[in-house]
Amino acid sequence: MPQTLEETASREQIALDSPWVTLVWNDPVNLMSYVSYVFRSYFGFSREEADRRMLQVHENGRAVVATGSREEMERHVEAMHDFGLWATLQKVDA
Amino acid sequence: MTPFERADDGVLAAEFTPLESGIITDLAVQIAELLGELGADAAHPDDVFASIGIGGTDRLHRDPAIARLLPDAYGEDADASGDFRRMTEQSLATRKVGNARTVVDSLARGDGQVELIDEEAHAWMKCLSDIRLTLATRLGIEEDGDTGATDSDVALAMHDLYDWLAYVTETLIDALES
Repeated sequence: MPQTLEETASREQIALDSPWVTLVWNDPVNLMSYVSYVFRSYFGFSREEADRRMLQVHENGRAVVATGSREEMERHVEAMHDFGLWATLQKVDA
Repeated sequence: MTPFERADDGVLAAEFTPLESGIITDLAVQIAELLGELGADAAHPDDVFASIGIGGTDRLHRDPAIARLLPDAYGEDADASGDFRRMTEQSLATRKVGNARTVVDSLARGDGQVELIDEEAHAWMKCLSDIRLTLATRLGIEEDGDTGATDSDVALAMHDLYDWLAYVTETLIDALES
């Protein structure tokens, strides 16, 4: 029984801890191939998934590339800035 | 230049003419100088804070090129952006200076014959992006479709460089994935 309780508790933690997203914004400078490569090498996306999100950035002006805790999203945003991509984090709208 | 290619030993190799090598070195040094000066503006010019990477400023830099290299982390929350910047700006700037140094060192090492392991290739890609972002800011390229300044020989030369560095980046990505 205690094991069940722990599992429930940790699931609760994730639910409370994840309403943050990392957004990557379109810029006229970085190459589409570069943005896709960054998504694959940093986030581990497949080529298809990386290209899909890259095109979303290009066509819609932005794309969500990660969801999770605020601290995780801050780490991702800093990593994107290191790559020269324009990224921000924000709370998911309720 | 000859495009980057992955050699049998896994190393990514390309050859730059002395002119090309000199130009990339010069631009990488300029990025390092641009970001290296941030220490003077720091909110905590304290060695202890600096040594652990804390001590950035709390607002977007007034030089638009630096502002683009070190943008706000929170789109709609200036206070949170300021707090985050204080904690991370210095270490991010230091990493970017380190990427520039990797580029300069690898060009100097082989006298234009560049050989990179993958980690160094990432430093190259990041620094080439920083250089192109800075050139774009100086040329006034802000949105898709912007041509930017073309009214002087200097601007035209910057455009040539901007396009050529895109080509260098493309060949590097192709080689990384081969």
